[in-house]
Amino acid sequence: MSALASHTIPAEERRPAFSRLVTVELRKMVDTRSGFWLPIGVTAITLITVIISALVHHGHEATLAHLFRNSLMPSSFLLPVLGILLVCGEWTQRTTLATFTLIPDRGRVLSAKLAASLVFSVAAFVVCLAFSAVFAELVGNAPGGAGGISVAILGQGLLFMMTAMMIGVAFGAAILVSAPGIVLYLLLPTVWNALAGAIHSLESIGNWLALGNTWSDLPQQTLSATQWAQVGTTLCVWLVLPLAIGWYRFRTRDVN
Amino acid sequence: MIEANSLTKRYGARAAVQDVSFSCAPGTVTGFLGPNGAGKSTTLKMLCGLAHPTSGNSTLLGRPFTEIPNPGRHVGVLIDASAAHAGRRGRETLATSAKLLGVSDARVDEMLELVGLDDAAATKRVGQYSLGMRQRLGIAHALLGDPELLILDEPANGLDPEGMRWMRGLLRDFAARGGTVLLSSHLLHEVEAIADRLVIISGGKIAAEGTRDELIGDQAMTRVRSADDHALRSALRSFAIEVSATDDGALLAEATPEQVGEVALSAGVALRELGSARAGGLERLFFELTQSADAAPDHASAMEDHSTLQETVR
Repeated sequence: MSALASHTIPAEERRPAFSRLVTVELRKMVDTRSGFWLPIGVTAITLITVIISALVHHGHEATLAHLFRNSLMPSSFLLPVLGILLVCGEWTQRTTLATFTLIPDRGRVLSAKLAASLVFSVAAFVVCLAFSAVFAELVGNAPGGAGGISVAILGQGLLFMMTAMMIGVAFGAAILVSAPGIVLYLLLPTVWNALAGAIHSLESIGNWLALGNTWSDLPQQTLSATQWAQVGTTLCVWLVLPLAIGWYRFRTRDVN
Repeated sequence: MIEANSLTKRYGARAAVQDVSFSCAPGTVTGFLGPNGAGKSTTLKMLCGLAHPTSGNSTLLGRPFTEIPNPGRHVGVLIDASAAHAGRRGRETLATSAKLLGVSDARVDEMLELVGLDDAAATKRVGQYSLGMRQRLGIAHALLGDPELLILDEPANGLDPEGMRWMRGLLRDFAARGGTVLLSSHLLHEVEAIADRLVIISGGKIAAEGTRDELIGDQAMTRVRSADDHALRSALRSFAIEVSATDDGALLAEATPEQVGEVALSAGVALRELGSARAGGLERLFFELTQSADAAPDHASAMEDHSTLQETVR
């Protein structure tokens, strides 16, 4: 080992590049036992979903748009969970001790996790689209074949995937503990739906606030201006708000 | 260079750490000593930006930790060896950090070799590691960026005697090359062999600080047993030598063994045990300062294993 000469910090020293933080976050997502099997599991379930919907809707029903819509279902459920684990895993396994002593600017760490989740959800989108295209080509006999999907639906589907995983990251940062994070993420929309069912006045604003309404229609139909506004308000409640809380907690909480 | 200035951490009304100031110079090993719950970990976490002080501040190499652009290149930190992802392999744990720091994979292998984790161990998942192996992995992690400073919380935890000896050599060598080491422990005998200086913390406050000699003074201490302790005690007092009793019934005299031997000879008292008890003095000081129940058993055992010379006069 070298002699420890300097005892000063060189003025030209730079922080590790953000791209490196993102690369390491992506690597950390898949280099553990559970992290390795989860994406493989999601891919397998997606494949099975596409095969089943291709078989069930054999013939002209099995359009690319149809298969694509169904292929997103497993990820729409699992990407938020992965997002939660991406943040909470570190706090639960206490690897924050190592991460934050290497990157003390925790805002950069959380930003890198958000960026990594975007990369991951784009990859998931590509996988879903690829499976759908293959089986629409193999099974479908609709006029136009595999080409039967609009750019708008593809774009909305991509936005759906990206926001789904970011919502998970936001929830994770706000709660910081894996199990309660996942439970709360799954429970809150259900509680909302129950409330909306019981209280009539809540039902009418459901499209503006509930995750299960307009937002989950993103891969289904081309949205109108009003529906885009509804997606916006829904994301404010489920993404922006928890992310704001998470941004504060992630950066200021003492590490144990 | 590590400097803590009036670090204070409060949880509600309770102060976990109160007005803690100390500094560690290059080329030295500082032992941060105190019973469990005294505030050692909280203080170390505040130094590394992991916990936010209620008041006070600290600098490492002249800067607050959080303002060092690439801190892993300057400060090696091991707060808790158990805090690693159980499902990640040992080498991978180091490799991801190496990537962040911007050091090569060759450095990872070099550190694994240095801490004695072979290929088989490095490819195991950390969940299968013993505490001693985790401790070694943690040390490798701290050394990865070739830092000038090491901050280690209870690094000897879980190490066997051979491991402790290895760690002692490693840290002494690190300091000899000009590095600064701050390590904590709740057991005096773990640190007194490594540390040049001791900072003793108790109840969140610094109870004493200094080199071993500064802490116990250069007062010689002798542990003695005799056939007639009562007569020996009065004889020693007649020579103006302070005498007290140890926990196990021996006498502790503030004089050298030679002086005590001569007094015993002149008083005609047969000695049964005679030995220098300077280490016991430090142990006693630590015990008194910290007043901790868990220090008591070590107190007695450390007294015994220090060069006690048994001899019988006449």
